Amino acid sequence: MPDCDSMRENMPLLLTESLDPARRELTHQHIEMCPMCVAEWSAYKETWSILDTLPELDVPARVKQRFLAEVSPASVTPNVVPFRRRSAPRWLAQAAAVVIIAGGAFYGGRRMTPRVELTPTPAQVTAIQQAMPAQAAYSIAESRVLPAASISPQIEGRPDIQNVQFTDATPSNDQIGVSFDITSHVTVTGRPTDKSMVRLLRYVLENEDKQSPSRSRAIDWVRSTYAHVGNPDPEITEALANVLRNDDNQGVRIKAADTLRSLQSTMTDGTRDALVEALKNDPNPAVRIKAVEALAKLARSGGTMDPDMVDTLRKKASQGDENVYVRVKAAEALSSIQPR
Amino acid sequence: MKNKIQTFIAVAVLLSSTQLFGASFGTSSRVTREFPVDPAGSVWIDNPFGSIDVIGGEGNVITVSAERTLTAPDQLTLKEASDNVALSFEGDTKVRLIRTLLPPMRNARWTVTVNYIVHVPRGVNVKIGGSKSAEHIRVANVNGSVTINGFSGIVIMEGVNGASAINMVNGRVIYDYAQKPVARAQVQAVNADIDMFLPANSNFDWVANTINGDMLSTFNVKGGRFNGSVFHGVVGSGGLTINTESMMGHVAVLVKGSNLADAQSMRANEPAHQAVPGDVLRQPAKKIQLPFVNGDFVFAASVADVVVGEVRGNARIETGAGEVELGAVFGQCNVTSLGGPLNLGDIMGSLFAHTGAGDIIVRASRMGGQVTTDGGLVRVIYAGGPMTLRSGGGDIIVRQFSAFMDAETASGDVTLTGDPAQKSIKVTARTLQGNIVLNVSPRFAADIDATILTSDPEVNEMHLDFNGITIRREQVGNKTRIRATGKINGGGERVELYAEDGDIYISAQTLTPIRLANPK
Repeated sequence: MPDCDSMRENMPLLLTESLDPARRELTHQHIEMCPMCVAEWSAYKETWSILDTLPELDVPARVKQRFLAEVSPASVTPNVVPFRRRSAPRWLAQAAAVVIIAGGAFYGGRRMTPRVELTPTPAQVTAIQQAMPAQAAYSIAESRVLPAASISPQIEGRPDIQNVQFTDATPSNDQIGVSFDITSHVTVTGRPTDKSMVRLLRYVLENEDKQSPSRSRAIDWVRSTYAHVGNPDPEITEALANVLRNDDNQGVRIKAADTLRSLQSTMTDGTRDALVEALKNDPNPAVRIKAVEALAKLARSGGTMDPDMVDTLRKKASQGDENVYVRVKAAEALSSIQPR
Repeated sequence: MKNKIQTFIAVAVLLSSTQLFGASFGTSSRVTREFPVDPAGSVWIDNPFGSIDVIGGEGNVITVSAERTLTAPDQLTLKEASDNVALSFEGDTKVRLIRTLLPPMRNARWTVTVNYIVHVPRGVNVKIGGSKSAEHIRVANVNGSVTINGFSGIVIMEGVNGASAINMVNGRVIYDYAQKPVARAQVQAVNADIDMFLPANSNFDWVANTINGDMLSTFNVKGGRFNGSVFHGVVGSGGLTINTESMMGHVAVLVKGSNLADAQSMRANEPAHQAVPGDVLRQPAKKIQLPFVNGDFVFAASVADVVVGEVRGNARIETGAGEVELGAVFGQCNVTSLGGPLNLGDIMGSLFAHTGAGDIIVRASRMGGQVTTDGGLVRVIYAGGPMTLRSGGGDIIVRQFSAFMDAETASGDVTLTGDPAQKSIKVTARTLQGNIVLNVSPRFAADIDATILTSDPEVNEMHLDFNGITIRREQVGNKTRIRATGKINGGGERVELYAEDGDIYISAQTLTPIRLANPK
């Protein structure tokens, strides 16, 4: 590709998060589309990750000898002009002399001054000065704790996050924490309803490495956390709907559908569509069961039932080759619907 | 006395004001039209809300009488309703189309009901569709074919001699044949009961199907046989087919003059039921909730929700669909469901549990056994004996196993935690798409053979907390095989793990063992 070179120049900067948002996004998009750059990027990341783990080794004596032999004067080819020291300018020599004289005078004077000895006294604490919160300097090696309220809810680009962990250090308060590895280990703390926290969880659900076992844990955690929140942000249910639509792992899809059922109060049109789609087409009967149970619960609560949903339930209830439990649940859902 | 009068006036004012706030405005109008139609033509009626009466007679004219009723909380909304509801009469002498037209997105504050009474020539074909809610849909004295497609309401077919096809969701379907049926009838419903009244000398083949309801008849039904949940029988000398199918309601064919209470169940007439897989749907639906069974518990039903607190003997449960919840079983436990979650408590004898779809949770399987689902999660808190766990798709999680563990899922993660008191346990775990996590104590000894087959070797890895394991990578077609073999803590039972497109974790942890209380 014509712009591969420039994109590859960006990769080290991308790795250290030094690119501006526009170039970062551009580079990410290019990497996703260009197989050669994917390989290059993977190599960069791997190299970066192993740099910390590599021990510092002394150069073996044999290599050292060979290197010196290579650069020794005997090996210099005759056509190289020998290096000759050039005389320094005269003013430079004078300045050096002034510095030496001044330095010598200061040293001599300091030696001749009598030393004053202070009597040791016990230390007393007179006041504690409140340390000013220092502006956290960027460091790839450190662990950082960031309050959700102080970070932007907008996540720019598509940072590669790994090793996601969830914490609820003090269950009695309403604070939760999400930690993950990016180029440093970051922990974001805040309330489940903080927009930044919601966006971060949405990003975790939709973008964390699909094979990571923590994806499944993430969904469990979302369910247990947001079950206690009166009216969870619709972005959470939309993220779960995307997982339900797109995830290859059937266990993850089952959990996503089950969690959507428990977070009924914030069901959006998109979420309902995802459940209907799962009921229609998901090959796993357990996913279809969770989807039909969620729709039945929605029908019982008097939620909006669009014609497509009713039609799908009707077809499922009558579909001879469908699992009997799915059919029964679809019939139950239909019996709760009051046409309007 | 003065206080009482004041209180009375206050209450009266309050009541009158609440009545005022809850007041609604309504209007009703009637339209009558006449149209010529061919005696063998068709009449289509499309009316979402309201009753429909179609009555056959002589002549070649359709007479439509429509009564439109609108209700709204205020005059303005009522005006909006009036402007948005239209009655449409279209077509020609071959096909007459009568429709109630509503806007696709309408204000939920107003409601409309249009009741039609349509007199038609006896020979026309009648097609009624789009009915969402009707007090009733009645077709009487029609010799042409009748098709009805609706959501809820009572469908009454009186003296309909032509072929008929009815498809309803909720409500009820009643056929009242004036004479022997001469054309086939097909009735399908989801939650509706279907009752057909026919002359005693009728001849027809009866096909009936219900899952939650029952198949009932006051006729002498001959040659009855089941094919899954579908019943086939012959009334009289047979001939045309009457097909009645309701998912959750009952289906009945009754001699005119008899009533449902006198009808016999086709299921009850079946010879002694021999339990074989798949025919559980012949059993009637039941719901059972028992705190205690002092002895063996044997139960079978097509659709059943079973909750039993404690079974002192063996438990054998077979359902077509439903939820099964058992608290404690002192003997062997055998639960088979074609679909629905199983929630099993403390199972002291051997366990066999299978569901066609749904999650299975086992709190304790003291002697081990087999737990399988065609799709769903499998979660076992304590496995005291050797266990085989299978899922057609879904995670498998075992909180503590003390004997041989064999777990396999088509798609999902497998998480197994070994008993810390055991030095070595044989383990086999497979997932065709997902991760395997094996948590054991740091002194766990085993011969490890772990394999990852992946299309992305940069992402999928082995994570091993033990030394002495060799990891090799090799290319297999377009995939990479990562294989870890070796002995940990000097070697022991074989631990065989296989994951496709996932990670394998063998984690050394200081674990807290689960202890079970002894049964009383």
